[in-house]
This record gives sequence, structure tokens and C-alpha cells, in this order.
Amino acid sequence: MPIALEEILETIRMTEVEHFDIRTVTMGINLLDCRSDDLKRMKTNIYDKIMRTAAEHVATAQKVESDYGISIANKRISITPMAIVADGHYPEDFIELAKVLDRAGDELGIDYLGGFSALVQKGFTMGDRSLIKAIPEALASTKHICSSVNVASTKAGINMDAVKMMGETVKLTAEKTADRDAIGCAKLVVFANVPEDNPFIAGAFHGVSEPDVVINVGISGPGVILRAVKEAPNDLDFSQLGERIKNMAFKITRAGEFIGKKVAAMQSIPYGIVDISLAPTPLPGDSVADILKAMGLEDVGATGTTAALALLNDSVKRGGLMASSHVGGMSGAFIPVSEDEGMINAAQKGHISLEKLEAMTSVCSVGIDMAAIPGRTPASVISGLIADECAIGMTNNKTTAVRIIPVPGKEAGDIVDYGGLLGAAPIMPISQLNNSIFVDRGGRLPPPTKGINN
Amino acid sequence: MADLNEQEIRKLVEEAVQQLGSNVSGEAVNQVVREAAAKINVPVNTSAPQPQIQPSAVGQNRIIVTAFGKNRRGILAGLTGVLSETGCDILDLSQKLLQEFFTTMLLVDISESSLPFEEIKAKVTAKGEELDLKVIIQHEAIFNAMHRV
Repeated sequence: MPIALEEILETIRMTEVEHFDIRTVTMGINLLDCRSDDLKRMKTNIYDKIMRTAAEHVATAQKVESDYGISIANKRISITPMAIVADGHYPEDFIELAKVLDRAGDELGIDYLGGFSALVQKGFTMGDRSLIKAIPEALASTKHICSSVNVASTKAGINMDAVKMMGETVKLTAEKTADRDAIGCAKLVVFANVPEDNPFIAGAFHGVSEPDVVINVGISGPGVILRAVKEAPNDLDFSQLGERIKNMAFKITRAGEFIGKKVAAMQSIPYGIVDISLAPTPLPGDSVADILKAMGLEDVGATGTTAALALLNDSVKRGGLMASSHVGGMSGAFIPVSEDEGMINAAQKGHISLEKLEAMTSVCSVGIDMAAIPGRTPASVISGLIADECAIGMTNNKTTAVRIIPVPGKEAGDIVDYGGLLGAAPIMPISQLNNSIFVDRGGRLPPPTKGINN
Repeated sequence: MADLNEQEIRKLVEEAVQQLGSNVSGEAVNQVVREAAAKINVPVNTSAPQPQIQPSAVGQNRIIVTAFGKNRRGILAGLTGVLSETGCDILDLSQKLLQEFFTTMLLVDISESSLPFEEIKAKVTAKGEELDLKVIIQHEAIFNAMHRV
């Protein structure tokens, strides 16, 4: 059946008016073959491999954008977790390696490079410890590098020593980048049940079970879903509302998969997955919060918000799974505060609190994401928040994460503007009650029995 | 087959009936109609029907040009003119006029053009700017991916 004028106009409305774009085409690169006990040699190996493998990545993505008229907002790279690649090296060496990665990223013209990462849900290697120690300085002295640490899983439980360490690392990173409103913390995320093929930043890395090189794609289409929900009459029931969301999710996922496959094929690289997360942007109308409001809530934070998010998340998955054989990564709705205009407004009005966001993370894909808190917040409070999110992820067998920004010198009610996709973050109040005895206990918080599923 | 008027068809039938009598077969009908048509000077085309446009078999070589703007004289002539100059073949066209606002979509085969996609895109877009049109040019395959299961 030929394409009808209406279908063409719908596609153009999606891209031109509703901000539908491909959020990222992320090239995953294995760096295990670059290891060496000689730091200088390893730096050369890593630089050479990234420059060689991703030489055409940005140009190819731009060509695909031009051919098909769909913009690709970010071109990114993810690498094998650096703690594994550079195990045996010292923290100073890791900082050097971060700078080499940053230089490669800069020269290739990519937006972000993820994978300055460690997986410590059950315990630390020396490489893990060195990497975590290097994080604050590595993020302060680079532009493109993003870091993630997985501290919990449904199988392993929660590594509470790592939770404590990451609370302190977030604080140190904020202090190191205090002159830029703690922007280092926007590039650092602490995970439970981290996926190994996630194309989104800051949590992207190239898992050890992945092929040598792979292309993964993330889509961004809240504006498109928003229209589908807004056009629904007030008395449309939830099954039918879900159906409308599903139809739109199908179309945007198909576009994402198509673009990803093209970028992969043109570089003769295997195509991996499409992550069907709805990634918002700070642009008006491109907001997950606005979708929830359009379902009939006065604002996000109203009772019913978590249920609305659950419906949105499930409907997007239904459409996305029909559209693609290989769905991966996080694949759920993102609810970052600073990157979503509706969330920013709700936070400024005090309609949404960190506590409500925490409840919402039990049904969404990520967790407390891009939320700013007062800079005086102690590390133990941040660790407590990480532990809470890990508990939700571990118990519900899902990914959760914390990307929180304690902005030095700022108090609840202030706002910091990072610009671009990172947006503007209102400082949100967080419970300052003392939890230090709890956080200091350390050791491993045991996994739930549901983790034993064989 | 060329368009026939009622009089010509009547003549054909009368001629055929006169000649056939009881001797009717497919071959005979074909022959008689041809002869009758020749007598009354009507061209008859019995070759296979023209192939229909099939979507997406060669999606790589087919682009969709969409243009929007305020209606004025020469919009379509301008766009199709530049497509013709670049050696492109227009396969399908639809348009809508909503009050003063003009929207058109052209399905274009660029396989015979000597220019690459980027140059065709640049030329058509430039022509669109001359005519105060917003022109969007995309390979057809993206629409098939999004709108067809």
C-alpha cells in the first residue's frame, strides 16, 4: 500500500513540531584487547582503537539524518567498564586514561563517552577501588566522559560499602566541579541491576558479553505520545488510552530501529538493540511530566501520578516490543527532573518531592535522575538515598539508579541552569535526618529470595 | 486502449457481428475487432497492462518531497521543473489546499538522475526557498518503516 499524504504529514509533524528525534546512536567498543601493564602503551592502544573504530561514526549518523530527515541528537560511544580494562593500575592512571578517552571523543566529534565504570554489586577488585577513587578528578578534568557504578543486583544484593563510598564520591565530585554548579554529578550515576547495552548517558557502557563493536539506539518521543494523550477525550478509559500510546510507541520505535540499523550497516558494524525509553528534553512539549498531566492530573506529584506513570511505561513497552525484535537497555519512561520542562515546573512549585519521585521509580526505568539538592547535604544522606533506590531495584528485579547533584552553596528554592539537554535543575529539599549508623554498617545487604529463581 | 466514444464502439460491435456469425472463438474475436478498428481508424492497444507503482521495492532510489507554504502561482511548476532538470522521475503526487495554505507531496524516483541524493536535495530545497516554501526531502524507506507493519 503506497504511503498516504496523511502519513507523511504525521511523520513530519512528529519531527518538526513534536520534537521526535533519535536521542542517541551509541557505538559500543570493546577495549579488553587494549590492556597493558605499561600505562603509556595502554593509552596508545585505547586511543588508536577508538579512533580507528569510530572514525566514521559521526559522519555516518549525519548522513543518515540527512537521508531520512530524522535528527539524531547525540552521537555517543560506550566502552568496556574501565575498571576491568585497567585493573591493576592506580587511581592516577585512571585519571590519565579518562583524559585519553576525552581527547579521542573530542577529536571524533562525539557528544559523550560512557564506560568510566565499575561493577561492584558483590565486592571490589583493586581496579574497581582505583576507578571509584579517580571519579571526582576524572569527571572534573574531562568534558565528554561519563561514569557509572553498579552497586546492587537482585542476585547479589546491595554492596553497602560501595553505597557508602558512592555517597562520598558524589559529594567529592560536586566539590571538584563547584565552579560549574557541580556539573560533574550530572555525568555520574549509581545503579542497581544495570543493563549492559544501555545507549543512554550517564549509564552507558559496553558489557563484557557484547561483541567487539555494536550500535545501540535510544529514542526520544514524549512530544509524540503527549499529542496522542492530549487528543483523547476526558472520558476515554484506560485501556483505550493505553492503546493510543501503544500505537505511537510502535511508530517511534520503528523509526529508531530503522535509523540504528542504517547507521550500523553503513559502517559494517552489528546492530544491537533499540532502547525504547521515552527520553524527555527541556524543550516545551517534549515532557514526560506533561503526558502524565494530560492523563488528567493537575500536576505531577498529585495522587495518581505513580499509576499514570505505570500505564505510560507499560503502553510504551507494548508498542515498542511489537515494533522491534531487539529491545534492550533500560526501556521504560525516564523521569529526570532537570531535563523535563514539566518536572522543572512541578519541582519549582513544590508539587513534586523527592519522596514522590522515589515512589515513581518503582514503576519507571531509571530512578532519581538529574535531581539537585542543597550542597550542604552530608554524604551519608546521599548514600541513604542510593540504598533506598537499590532496595527498590533489587526487590522488584528492575533497574534503578541515582544521579543526584548536591550543588555547593545552593539551598532549596534556588535553581541551576546547565543548558542543552541537561536543562535546569531546581534545588529540591531532602530529609537531613541522621542515618550515619545505618550507612556505616557496611557489608552486603542480602538479596531477596526472588533472586533465587532456578 | 484509447478512449472511444459511443458511436465508435457501436460501429466496432456492428462490424464484429457482421463478420462473426456462428464462427465465435477468442482468436476470431481478437482478429475481427482489430480489423474493424483499422477500418474505422481507432488505435487498439492489446499489449500487457502498464505496470502499477509498487511501494518500496527500490526504496533506496525513491524519495518523498513534501512542501508547505502559502499558495501562489508556479509552486508546482517550480518544484517539478527542478526535479525534471535533475533527471528525476515523478511517480506520484498529491496535494491539499487548506484556505491559503498549500501542501504537496511528490514521490520521486531518483535512480535515473546523474546527481546524488544530497545535490538533488540541495537544488529542490533552494527552489523551495525561492518560492517561500518549506521543503522536506526524505528517502521513502523511513515512511515504510514507521507506517507499515
